[in-house]
Amino acid sequence: MTPQSGSQSDMIGSFCRIYSVLLYAYPREFRLQYGAAMQQVFRDRCRDLARTADPLALLRFALHLTADWLTTTVREGAAAFWSAGRKQTHRGFVTEWAVTLGIYLFVTTTLVQAYVIPTGSMEGTLRVGDHMLVDRVTFAAPGSAGAHILPYRELKHGDIVAFLYPEDIRQTYVKRLIGLPGDRIRLDNGRVIRNGRRLTEPYTQHIAAYPDAYRDNFPLSPEANTTARGRDMFEHHVVSGEVIVPPNMLFMLGDNRDNSLDSRYWGFVPRSYVVGKPLFVYWSYDAPTADLQEWTLTHVLDVAQHFFTKTRWERTLLVPRSQAAQEAGGTQ
Amino acid sequence: MTKSQSAQELLPLTPPVFHILLALADEERHGYGIMQDVARQTDDALQLGPGTLYGCLKRMLAAGLVEESDERPDPTLDDERRRYYRMTTLGKRVVRAEAQRLTSAVMAARTKLAGGIS
Repeated sequence: MTPQSGSQSDMIGSFCRIYSVLLYAYPREFRLQYGAAMQQVFRDRCRDLARTADPLALLRFALHLTADWLTTTVREGAAAFWSAGRKQTHRGFVTEWAVTLGIYLFVTTTLVQAYVIPTGSMEGTLRVGDHMLVDRVTFAAPGSAGAHILPYRELKHGDIVAFLYPEDIRQTYVKRLIGLPGDRIRLDNGRVIRNGRRLTEPYTQHIAAYPDAYRDNFPLSPEANTTARGRDMFEHHVVSGEVIVPPNMLFMLGDNRDNSLDSRYWGFVPRSYVVGKPLFVYWSYDAPTADLQEWTLTHVLDVAQHFFTKTRWERTLLVPRSQAAQEAGGTQ
Repeated sequence: MTKSQSAQELLPLTPPVFHILLALADEERHGYGIMQDVARQTDDALQLGPGTLYGCLKRMLAAGLVEESDERPDPTLDDERRRYYRMTTLGKRVVRAEAQRLTSAVMAARTKLAGGIS
């Protein structure tokens, strides 16, 4: 064996240390099994190259080793990943998925619900295509099982609320809570007057293309758009030009006040129809109303093709704020 | 019959696997010994990196092409103990079958190219 100079063996020693660190990129099992042998081989090769004293050979070796390291770490990593999936015992696999499913069902039935805004009635605050998570706990109906242990609070004016549409409870609507039981509500020139006080609502949007007496000076008398429930409201709950919200009922209006079918048209929302409080937008996607109500093939293709361009990234994780309207002083 | 079929199923071999088997054909060797022999076989054209070498050995062990021999020092290198590998009978069959396959391929190439080259 040719004797080697001290500086050379120093250099080889430091190369070996670097290589021993690089070995950590391999999966643990592979490293434990072969790491020591790989280091040995590496050192042997370094020694042989040092004997040839050819700097180009060293450089080639370094490049070759880097390529080898890059490709085999990926390869062994992938192999370890797949074998980990297969090796899991059948029982462990079933248990894990059962637990996951259990948590998923609990969370989705009790705590939150995914919801998409299909119409522009809350435009200005929420946009068509905003996919939201709705918190089902906060506004849980009084007396429900979780009410005592979960963070529950009463509904208040200005809350944004998700609820079952009274005319068709298969649909969920999101609107702002304007009237609680006992409130007297009317609209004057598009402005809400509640219990005699004019509200200043900074969150509303007025983009009327035309004046509409029914919409802006509510309640006058039923018109074509008024549903049966709306007519019932006109008949039984209007006292001297004001709607009086009955017990256990809510009066909801859209923020896009001139373009919203809300309690003015279909009446009150029963308290028990409240689904929850919109938490945040997890995905906002620019799509027409029809596509958001049902997943059609065209919508799937549209999302597949335009996911990155039509997603409104800036709305991701946006939290809609409940906001109390300011009440002007004095009776009007 | 089933055994030769299983040998056929492993073909074609990747160049590193083929040359590792060839290196172990005459004697059992340790990792660096395999690496040196493969370089000799191929006139330095195929230099196995440590990752490629042991990744291949791992898969060849799993497939039953090679097996681990004992751990002992290499008298020509130093006194460190090294893990030696040797070829199994399946490995022998597979490397023969692969050599056969390559021979047929070379023959086919010769026949096709004979006219074009001359």
